[in-house]
Amino acid sequence: MANIIVEVCSGTHCVMLGAMNIIDSVHSLDEIRHDMDQCREVEVRAVPCMGLCKGGAQGPFVRVDGLLIKGGESDRVMAAIMDRCAQSQDT
Amino acid sequence: MRGLFTSITKIRRQVFTEVARYAFERDLDNSDFNFFYESSYRIIPGEVATYRDSVFKERAIIRERIRLAMGLPIRPADAHQPLTKGMAESATADKLLEMPLINVIPFACEACATDHFQVSDNCRKCLAHPCTGVCPVGAVSIGKTASVIDQDKCIKCGRCKEACPYQAISRIGRPCAEACGAKAIGSDALGRAKIDQDKCVSCGLCIVACPFAAIADKSEIFQLVTAIRTGQTVFAAIAPSFVGQFGPLATPGKVVAGIKALGITRVIEVGWGADIGSLHEAEEFLRDVPDEKPFLGTSCCPSWAMFARKEQPGLANCIAQSHTPMVAAAQRIKQEHPDARVVFIGPCVSKKMEALEDEVRPYVDYVITYEELMGLFAARQIELNELKEAPLMDYASRDGRNYAVAGGVAQAVVNVIQETAPGREVPVMKADTLHECRKMLALAKAGKVNGYLLEGMACPGGCVGGPGTLSQISRASKSVAAFAQASSYRTASDNPLDQEVLPIAPG
Repeated sequence: MANIIVEVCSGTHCVMLGAMNIIDSVHSLDEIRHDMDQCREVEVRAVPCMGLCKGGAQGPFVRVDGLLIKGGESDRVMAAIMDRCAQSQDT
Repeated sequence: MRGLFTSITKIRRQVFTEVARYAFERDLDNSDFNFFYESSYRIIPGEVATYRDSVFKERAIIRERIRLAMGLPIRPADAHQPLTKGMAESATADKLLEMPLINVIPFACEACATDHFQVSDNCRKCLAHPCTGVCPVGAVSIGKTASVIDQDKCIKCGRCKEACPYQAISRIGRPCAEACGAKAIGSDALGRAKIDQDKCVSCGLCIVACPFAAIADKSEIFQLVTAIRTGQTVFAAIAPSFVGQFGPLATPGKVVAGIKALGITRVIEVGWGADIGSLHEAEEFLRDVPDEKPFLGTSCCPSWAMFARKEQPGLANCIAQSHTPMVAAAQRIKQEHPDARVVFIGPCVSKKMEALEDEVRPYVDYVITYEELMGLFAARQIELNELKEAPLMDYASRDGRNYAVAGGVAQAVVNVIQETAPGREVPVMKADTLHECRKMLALAKAGKVNGYLLEGMACPGGCVGGPGTLSQISRASKSVAAFAQASSYRTASDNPLDQEVLPIAPG
């Protein structure tokens, strides 16, 4: 099974609005997820500025398997990942 | 809230960015500062409150934060004073900062109970009700549906809480006061937090602890930017804890490049000043311990040093006399470039206090934190990852760079001592947070640390846990360790400090 890819924008604006904390909270999911059977591994990548902040939109910006989460606090990102885990279990 | 990113963190950083933006964009000859009224609407848009009971209160608090970020005092809430009062005078490159450095914004404070026991819905009105049995003053009784605590009788001993099998009795404390190791937070007439400025040592842990963001420190970002914009030469001295603070893609070289892109001429590592500090403290230890002084305490954390002197005045001379790394680095810059301004960039609020001291003022012009620096980068839309690395300044040893973590300072000094006087035993005791420092000082007073080197830190984990940091402590500690290993020099003694290391040519 392919990994769940989580791309966390690590440009200036997004780091200022908490990108590092999002990365840490995704890693913190490992303990919880290991209790769920057959869940895919999560791969977190710090990516360069996605350019989404130009034009006034507020970060931080995260993509979970391509799905864009805007202005995502850690809890929304974690929820999106747990959601993907649940989806992959159904297939 | 240490290590977590919350709405509070967001608001703080938005305020810094707004102040930085105006500092960079304003017309130097014609600034009316009305921009800041608009800032409060940008940060708190709309008509529906997000964080508190009303948008008006939210904006009022933002405006006081803006004043503090400008280096100005907050306004009294019971008299009219325009937001912009004092701003024209603050638009200077001269140092403006004055105590009080750390301020409670009284109307942002929710006056949390200081030590309060109460029964929650967990209570099952059980048959045993041990809560009543253990109370030494008969304050707990069984009511209709749950046990009840008579607050007038309660002596806050906590036995009922310990005894309850359902954890139904909880204690509410005041987070800021409990974070304060100097026990400097009391209450005003309305029960709101009030800082006793005689006891406060400016560590800033209360700022991190308050869940209602009611406490903030003053900033010097406006004055720093004014210096840059009025053509003054500014050098930056950056603390060893800076690595990894600006995101996983911002390597040290890119951070340096970013700082220069703001208009700062050159960045030097304060880790280099730490090496000088290690040499001096080692010398002082070997010279004075145990004959002149029973032990030696490190001095680089100003809050710890001030706390130690206040808490145990009889032992004040046991704190090392050497200049801190910040001052050593700043002195070196001013020696070669007497007309330049020096900005110290670091993790903490404490250094802002140190820079107010008479002996330090001639060397350090401004102190800013990494959070404030991030506001500057954001205001100028500087994308660190896209910059070319500025040459990595290899001026600090591994030990100097490790000053950033608890234990690093002591290790650095011990290494020099053992290189200078091989075979000399140096027992070490460390404490981080002022609560632990207090205990360590009590042991010192009792004569239990004779012959020791004591390392005191006000922040948990050392400097990487400072209130002006952006990164979680464990992540930051790893970045610091890696950067330390990358140095060509291991200990302070290995570092060839007499080299000419500061040519003014931009790198």
